[in-house]
Amino acid sequence: MKPADSRRLFTDPVADSVLAETRRQFFARGARGLGAAALATLFGEDLTAALVGNESPGGLPGLPHFAPTAKRAIYLHMVGAPPQMDLFDYKPAMKDWYDKDLPDSIRKGQRLTTMTSGQSRFPIAPSVFKFSQHGQSGAWISELLPWTAKMVDEMAIIRTMHTEAINHEPAITFIQTGQQIAGRPCVGSWIAYGLGSMNQDLPTFVVLNASHSHPKAGVQAISAKLWSSGFLSSKYAGVALRSGKDPVLFIKNPEGMPAPMRRRMLDALGELNQMQHDKTGDPEIRARIAQYEMAYRMQTSVPELTDLTKEPQSVLDWYGEDARRAGTFAHSCLLARRLVERGVRFVQIYQRGWDVHRDLPEVLPAMCKDVDQGCYALVKDLKARGLLKDTLVIFGGEFGRTMYSQGKLTPTDYGRDHHPRCFTFWAAGGGIKGGVVHGETDEFSYNIVRDPVHVRDLQATILRCFGIDHERFAYKTQGLDARLTGVEPATPVKAILA
Amino acid sequence: MLRPRSALPLAVVALLAGQFLFTSNAQQSPPGSKPPATVTRSVVAPKAAAIDFQREIRPILSDNCFFCHGPDEATRLADLRLDTREGLFAARDSGTPVVPGNPAASVLYRRITTPEKERLMPPVHSKKALTDGQKDLLRRWIEQGAPWKEHWAFATPSRPPLPAVKNASWVRNAIDRFVLARLEASGLQPAVEADRRTLARRVSLDLAGLPPEPEAVEAFVNDKSAQAYETFVDRLLTSKHWGEHRGRYWLDAARYADTHGVHLDNYREMWPYRDWVIDAFNRNLPYDRFIIEQIAGDLIPNRTMEQQIATGFHRCNATTNEDGAIADEVAAIYAKDRVDTTGSVFLGLTMGCASCHDHKFDPISQRDFYSLAAFFRNTTQGPLDGNVWDTPPSIVVPRPEDLARWNQISTEEASLKARLKAARTEGEADFAKWLDGQDRVSASSPLEPADELLALTVQGERPRLLVKGNPVAVTLPEGVSLGDAHIAGQKALHFSGKAFLELPNVEAIASDRPFSVAVWFYVPAGEDSFIVASQSDPKSKSRGWTFELTRRTPIFRLTGLGGRVLVARGNIIDRLKPAAWYHIAFSYDGYRVPSSLRLFLDGKEAGLEGAGEGAQLKGEIRNFSPLQVGSQGNRYFDGGAIADLRVYNRVLSPEDVSLLAHWAAFELARPKKTAALAPNELEGFRDYYFVREHADSMDLAGQLQTLRAEKLAIARRGAVTHVQQEKESKAHANVLFRGMYDQPRDTVEASTPAVLPPMGSSLPRNRMGLARWLLDPRHPLTSRVTVNRIWQEIFGTGLVKTTDDFGSQGEAPTHPDLLDWLAVEFREGGWDLKKFYKLLVTSATYRQAAVSTPLKLEKDPENRLLSRGPRFRMDAEMIRDYALAASGLLVPSIGGPSVKPYQPDGVWEAVAMFSSNTRFYRSDSGSNLYRRSLYSFWKRSAPPAAMEVFNAPTRENCTVRRERTNTPLQALAAMNDVQMIEAARHLAQRALLAAPGDFDRQMRFLSARLVARPFDERERAVTRKAYEDYLRFYAGAKDEARTLIRQGESKPDSSLPAPELAAMTMVANQLLNLDEVLVK
Repeated sequence: MKPADSRRLFTDPVADSVLAETRRQFFARGARGLGAAALATLFGEDLTAALVGNESPGGLPGLPHFAPTAKRAIYLHMVGAPPQMDLFDYKPAMKDWYDKDLPDSIRKGQRLTTMTSGQSRFPIAPSVFKFSQHGQSGAWISELLPWTAKMVDEMAIIRTMHTEAINHEPAITFIQTGQQIAGRPCVGSWIAYGLGSMNQDLPTFVVLNASHSHPKAGVQAISAKLWSSGFLSSKYAGVALRSGKDPVLFIKNPEGMPAPMRRRMLDALGELNQMQHDKTGDPEIRARIAQYEMAYRMQTSVPELTDLTKEPQSVLDWYGEDARRAGTFAHSCLLARRLVERGVRFVQIYQRGWDVHRDLPEVLPAMCKDVDQGCYALVKDLKARGLLKDTLVIFGGEFGRTMYSQGKLTPTDYGRDHHPRCFTFWAAGGGIKGGVVHGETDEFSYNIVRDPVHVRDLQATILRCFGIDHERFAYKTQGLDARLTGVEPATPVKAILA
Repeated sequence: MLRPRSALPLAVVALLAGQFLFTSNAQQSPPGSKPPATVTRSVVAPKAAAIDFQREIRPILSDNCFFCHGPDEATRLADLRLDTREGLFAARDSGTPVVPGNPAASVLYRRITTPEKERLMPPVHSKKALTDGQKDLLRRWIEQGAPWKEHWAFATPSRPPLPAVKNASWVRNAIDRFVLARLEASGLQPAVEADRRTLARRVSLDLAGLPPEPEAVEAFVNDKSAQAYETFVDRLLTSKHWGEHRGRYWLDAARYADTHGVHLDNYREMWPYRDWVIDAFNRNLPYDRFIIEQIAGDLIPNRTMEQQIATGFHRCNATTNEDGAIADEVAAIYAKDRVDTTGSVFLGLTMGCASCHDHKFDPISQRDFYSLAAFFRNTTQGPLDGNVWDTPPSIVVPRPEDLARWNQISTEEASLKARLKAARTEGEADFAKWLDGQDRVSASSPLEPADELLALTVQGERPRLLVKGNPVAVTLPEGVSLGDAHIAGQKALHFSGKAFLELPNVEAIASDRPFSVAVWFYVPAGEDSFIVASQSDPKSKSRGWTFELTRRTPIFRLTGLGGRVLVARGNIIDRLKPAAWYHIAFSYDGYRVPSSLRLFLDGKEAGLEGAGEGAQLKGEIRNFSPLQVGSQGNRYFDGGAIADLRVYNRVLSPEDVSLLAHWAAFELARPKKTAALAPNELEGFRDYYFVREHADSMDLAGQLQTLRAEKLAIARRGAVTHVQQEKESKAHANVLFRGMYDQPRDTVEASTPAVLPPMGSSLPRNRMGLARWLLDPRHPLTSRVTVNRIWQEIFGTGLVKTTDDFGSQGEAPTHPDLLDWLAVEFREGGWDLKKFYKLLVTSATYRQAAVSTPLKLEKDPENRLLSRGPRFRMDAEMIRDYALAASGLLVPSIGGPSVKPYQPDGVWEAVAMFSSNTRFYRSDSGSNLYRRSLYSFWKRSAPPAAMEVFNAPTRENCTVRRERTNTPLQALAAMNDVQMIEAARHLAQRALLAAPGDFDRQMRFLSARLVARPFDERERAVTRKAYEDYLRFYAGAKDEARTLIRQGESKPDSSLPAPELAAMTMVANQLLNLDEVLVK
């Protein structure tokens, strides 16, 4: 094919022939499907896989380090920090301590936030909620989580998580990125970077922000930095799906431009871009053609993803009434299942509202009601589809809360301040041992007495499930091998691994 | 979709040339490592040349050895350093690491080649390993005599001689000699010169950030003079858009944004700094002045307001006011940010690495880090930002037309204050007389009785109410009782449960009138919401005013039409203590805006948390409900108490409030004999006398008050900006053990890193000294780092790719001599920016066509050797600005408050705190929709969505090198963002109107604006065919056509048939998405 453009600037005859050859291959597939042809050539799984020697396109060679137990994860982050002693960490002895001061022998002069450091007293506020034992494991669960209680034998409950940060912003940043100050990749980005994508038309890492129902809920800020890729390429950043009519930013064609028109435009655009490529020889143009085709495919796959009309009634019933309202936690859980089912690696759900500094007995039941059934349905649904065995589900906040009351304490009313020294997480699926209750805190749920699990240990555990050795998974930046788990030692929590 | 893109170039190149050597290395390197820095270079290095220690050997040592045998004393093993000359060549007990000329005798070489696993270096457990190629290099280096040099970046650059080249006729200026020499050595030829249209577009984008006007392109194309290109460049350099475009890059480095960044992420007024940057580039402020004024403008003798504004550079960092934040921790974070930023922008050093321990690779100690931090820890800025828009120190920036008067007021104010002081001194004798006289005893109210609308106090054992000076009987309801007050001997009204006191309606209060409320009260324990007093109408959405306490923060709320409120919220820094007495006064001046409200705490003015910008009191607050003390709606004052409550019909001055706060104490002291007065009582009476009784003082105080009102009015019209202000003390800091704020160790004084030339003894040890040290002609980094960053702007990649890391782990320069030549040229040329950019864009190197050949793709894949012209995707802002400019929508005005263009719903709400004043994004309308993108409001926790998609940074940290990815999300934004659709329609409309019925001319109209050249025949054919298809569709779908052309706020031209306009809009949308349009 002789190029018609006389203004071409190539002077190299060798280049000419090579490019002509390329064009022949290219046009052999027909001009109509030009963009799609480029895509197939560039992204055909076989070719890509052969080139990078990895079953998941884009993953790093050599990863996973060993057989993974999880291929996907859904991380349910309760922003604001749920009070562990009102939900999972049962402390019956506290009943006798009502309104007595937290002993200095327990507090040990540890630092407090400036919200309660000025308080003259630290009166113990026993949980007003009832606990009972569940499942084979006999785990104690609060009455506020009746659905979660039904699945304790699927879950490993870690009661001895601890962190270093004492305020939300640094603590969330820490648990998501391994550092308290913004600038590092979050766990989802690390996974995307290390293991790559498992699908052709959805992001590798998706973020959902779920709503809450109680008007007095303590809502904390989150920000795009929590799903940013830090020093990794921004292509590993999480894509926030939105609950409105545009689940992905700019996904919808403008009104008045139906899909066939967009298709027609892309075909013409592809042809013109190819001409430009012929003139300049810039490989990036081919990449651009491919990305426009990918965008077009997303325009179909995303609406299909968010369309729940084909979900069976029985499944919708598991998730409850909330699942029908976009943006609720239950709806987000259902969406998360659909995402992992379609090959998304990492789904992060944030639910804000857990910062119970006051009115805890009033607010907490509502917060629990928002999430309880969704958690249960998600695990059950994944299990029913055979996905649970290699999908890791984790649940928790960024730190715990104090046994003493912040502000006024009455038999029916109290609040709790931030507490970094212990808090509870649970995990299920993806290689996690069910029916495990790990670690023990003192009777004030203040200090850990057995089996502490640092935030870094949790991160190492998540990586472990994905078949990654956290010590060998690094990215060179500023001359250092930066790791999710940082430079301090970290150990996966073997006791909760199946 | 977002699969890592590394597979892409690989496949592309495989397709193109069956050649993927240079990327396949990257694919095979172990996880977590980047390809060895030598890979790219080894392809292009001239063969059999002498080994370059800087480029080839030091990186290997740095990467593999320095961690244990480098600068960090704490982790150094075997007391061996391989980063210094002595360490490498001095004999040791175990032998000499490197014996020049003799690899076999060199312990270093023996240890890296030994078959004994336990002796092998680097050790197996380090997970580092040398390749055979690297070992070979080290061997040959030793054989060649092991030449050693200090790390290149720490030696002062000197002007190298221009290298010889074969093809001398290609050379236009010195740059080209260096570039060509390297190309010739690599067996490559430069590309031909780009045609004039391409050049016009490229250089317009590089100098103004906007596409050229078609007329300017034609004039340039037709300019026959030898100076045609230079003329074209000169015109761009005088364009006002030059400063905007340069400023945008700088604002990334300065981490400029319109919010604080953390937690509430409230509005911060900072845009005068942004405008200063634009203006500095436009008046071509020499770069040395540019640095000095930003780092230390406040320390310049007789500094101007502009120089103060410039110091905003280090006030742009993200700040916090999160509940519970610990001040020392936050202060340490700010200092680190400033050191990191200084490292990135001026030094090209990763200073942050030395915050927890000595740097592992570069000779920077932890002490160096904290010595540098000391320069920044000596300012008056507090650690918490107060969630306010004007966190101190900040200054008012009046409008230009107010400036003269503003300065005059300052002088007048000072003179009035001096006269007032003198008047008081003179009046001292009269005061003494008054003190002994009867008047003192009879004074009945602290301020003019005529101004007092209502006063509730307790006299002895009974409540006393005065309404406009007339006593009115009060009966205490059950639950309100007398108890202790804030001073002994006085009683207060104590409230319990839901009890409250109902007083008569205060009529004179209205939205447009000033009024004030001052209260002595007791803060109940607990975090609940309490009502101190309120006069509001429950039947009219609480229209009126309310003074409440929520979580121990005082809040004054004016509620107008439909429940719209104006709120003065005390900030968290001044949160009240529970179970304590306070005097608080709120003052409102009747102007309905946030600055109308002032809060005084214990007689002193206190900061307010920011109201949402643009907040305004709408409608009337006037009502006829009773004044309720201790209740509003279903909220009460359980556990609180009130000793004194007064309402005034005017604004209160600080002196007034001080008097009010102390009045009760004076009243008690009134019967005392003069001699028996305690010193503070005496002082109080003195204040009273001069504020209320002494005519001269009162007259002067009145003038002062008028002046202040005028000043406030000017401030209100103007803006605020954050500045730096030095403390009196000597700059110092503590070394923080492992970077932890609560583990301070040695105190260090402000000083610069030891490895760099020392600060001259004449330089002050403050920010001014630091700035001048950066500009020392011996400084090896400032000029190099700057010219490299400029090079990166123009050519896409710096000569040193790691723009912010010139240390031993950074990438060595591709053209070290060129870098040094440019550094010296820039400095010796008087730090003249325009001259320097002109040098770059007039070089033959820059003017090359951006055309690759397979040979070049093989030998110079990333164009690091500059074998062709720059061609890369434009930055986020440029893409949007391009569409606006090409379509004719751009509103080109310069500067002013940030604007809010279109943005999809929910971007802010999804992340914001409920009480954040940047929770809801409301896009502007009219001209603000079409301003250049550097004026778009930048919320750090949710930057403009369309910008972020194209790799715009969040501005949370200093960014000197943006990423440049290519993703489907970018395609979606460029295709579907309403801004892009509206631009397409506007462009289409102009094309149709410019050449009715003539498709070819319409295409010429479009192409001239989009690609600065006419489309060729094939391009026209493809586009015509698409247009016909679009038209066929829209002719049969008129509703769709009408819908499509309605996008955006501007209106389509009604004279054009909808199907035609829609079809042409599709064409324009298609063309706006051309790769050629999206790249420079």
